[in-house]
Amino acid sequence: MVLSIRDLCAGYSGKTILQNVSFSVGKGELVSLVGPNGAGKSTLLKTIRGLLPALQGKIFLQGTDITKLSEGEFARRAGYLQQQMQVPFAYTVREIVQTGRYPYLHWWQQSGKQDEEIIRASLAYTGALEFLDRPVQELSGGQQQRVFLAKVLAQQTPVLLLDEPATGLDLIYQEEIFRFCRELCVAGRTIVMVVHELSLAARFSSRLLLLSQGTVLADGKPEKVLTPELLTKAYGASIAVTENPLTGHMDIYTTGSGRQDERRAKLLATVLGREVTE
Amino acid sequence: MRRYGIIVLVLGICLLVVGVLSLSWGQMKIPFLHVAAGLAQGMELPILAQVPVPADEMAVIWHIRLPRTIVGLLAGGGLGISGAVLQGIFANQLADPGIIGVSSGASVGVVLVIATGAAGITMFALPVGALVGALAAVGLTVAMAWRHGRIPVMTLLLSGVVVGMFLAAFSAAVLTILDVNKLQEYLFWTIGGLDYRRWEHVLLGLGPILGSSAVMLVLSRQLNVLVLGDNEAKAVGMAVKRYRLLLLVLASMATATSVCISGNIGFVGLVVPHMMRLIVGPDHRRLLPASLLAGAAFLVLCDAVGRVIWSGYEVRVGIMTAFIGTPYFLYLLRKHQQRLD
Repeated sequence: MVLSIRDLCAGYSGKTILQNVSFSVGKGELVSLVGPNGAGKSTLLKTIRGLLPALQGKIFLQGTDITKLSEGEFARRAGYLQQQMQVPFAYTVREIVQTGRYPYLHWWQQSGKQDEEIIRASLAYTGALEFLDRPVQELSGGQQQRVFLAKVLAQQTPVLLLDEPATGLDLIYQEEIFRFCRELCVAGRTIVMVVHELSLAARFSSRLLLLSQGTVLADGKPEKVLTPELLTKAYGASIAVTENPLTGHMDIYTTGSGRQDERRAKLLATVLGREVTE
Repeated sequence: MRRYGIIVLVLGICLLVVGVLSLSWGQMKIPFLHVAAGLAQGMELPILAQVPVPADEMAVIWHIRLPRTIVGLLAGGGLGISGAVLQGIFANQLADPGIIGVSSGASVGVVLVIATGAAGITMFALPVGALVGALAAVGLTVAMAWRHGRIPVMTLLLSGVVVGMFLAAFSAAVLTILDVNKLQEYLFWTIGGLDYRRWEHVLLGLGPILGSSAVMLVLSRQLNVLVLGDNEAKAVGMAVKRYRLLLLVLASMATATSVCISGNIGFVGLVVPHMMRLIVGPDHRRLLPASLLAGAAFLVLCDAVGRVIWSGYEVRVGIMTAFIGTPYFLYLLRKHQQRLD
């Protein structure tokens, strides 16, 4: 097992978010963490990367307890792409991707020819090489995300942890990011990522982990996890799932909200600035 | 990369020109040839030996202007590079050496030295007081921000502001009970100046400023990673706390020593890195050397101009940097705003 998590409890100081989470991930798997906002998906990813301490339980990365790994060793084993990365100052694409080479350099070393080669290859792979000397701030969201992905690739880690790598991007870019991920997994990389788009997650992932209120509600192949019963339970709203006969993809949607009561009608009237007729 | 080489070359030439101007300008005008000859003869170099340099010019060059110029170079370079490092640590281009309490701490040290009368005992009482005060203030700022083995940037910023305000109030409280002569002495110190700098000041500043600058230059690649934030830096395997603390200490050391040998000089630590970032970009491997050179040249230029701008008087360098720095900063702000609109 590349990654194995045992009885993990985690969260921020004084507030436990994850409770007794256990699962293992094998080499080449593309695991998507799905579930409603606040279910603990990002917290789980951060804890796996060691950015948040585990309050209880253990995490093993390639067989080693992560608390036993040095900072550098950890960074050579697992890359992490954070949600909505912000770049201060007008750093160029090259300078940002260069930081991915950090774990391979001694403190007194500067990056060399070989690093430059890896940086260029990573950018070329994600289709962002043309932006090499442009400030990251000037790029569009989709272009930036390709740059950040290239930075994680330049880190050359067997495991990649990606927090919502495709959220907020145009459909084309979203699918592109997922395709990159699938290709990387076929090539032997292991990816665990947080995904909001359920149908995209289902199409591209080899496995889904449905989180709800800090626990794993379901774990398995997409069609086993994305059932109306499980999703309704996880999201707290009535959800239907049908397979689209044309595409073979899953259509996931909420059914009958049933919350159109009188109180809401009044609220809406106030919001719209209309007189409430009693 | 080639463009950067040219910029460094230009900065180096500026430094040389400014240095010569600083040795030449002042109440006694010394011709450039005499400056060059005086330096060569003083160092017993086998050039320009036949150029006659009057003894009084020789004395002015070697005993007054050279130490003064070198102190200016050291202080300006130290303020420039540590300003750039602090702006990097805080990922904020409005950060300057004052932000972690250095200036207010130095002021408290100086006020205490003046109030106790220790200033009259030795000429080193003031600089040492400033140094100790500055380092203590930075220590207090960092200690206040330290939580669960981490130093969050935002907390550091806030505790720097709070410590600064508290120490300023403390200085003010002591000042209210001082007599007029001591008040004037303090006032003179707060407007940093390079007058009456001696070789002793050079010796005092040389080690700490050159040493900490050298280490900061070596760590510029690490600073590039640190700028991207805690999570990002940890994700690529950086020991965030260790490097943040180390860079803070180095920047404080350079700043405090600069303040110690030249008094409180504003704007260099803020404007110079800002200006250089526009010219060479935010990559600290280029920004730090550029800020070091530009800071040194800017401060010495301000000092030299201050000596000749108003004949018969000397405008202190702390005033000149603000006079030249403020309009430039306003210009930058407006230009930046236009880009945002």
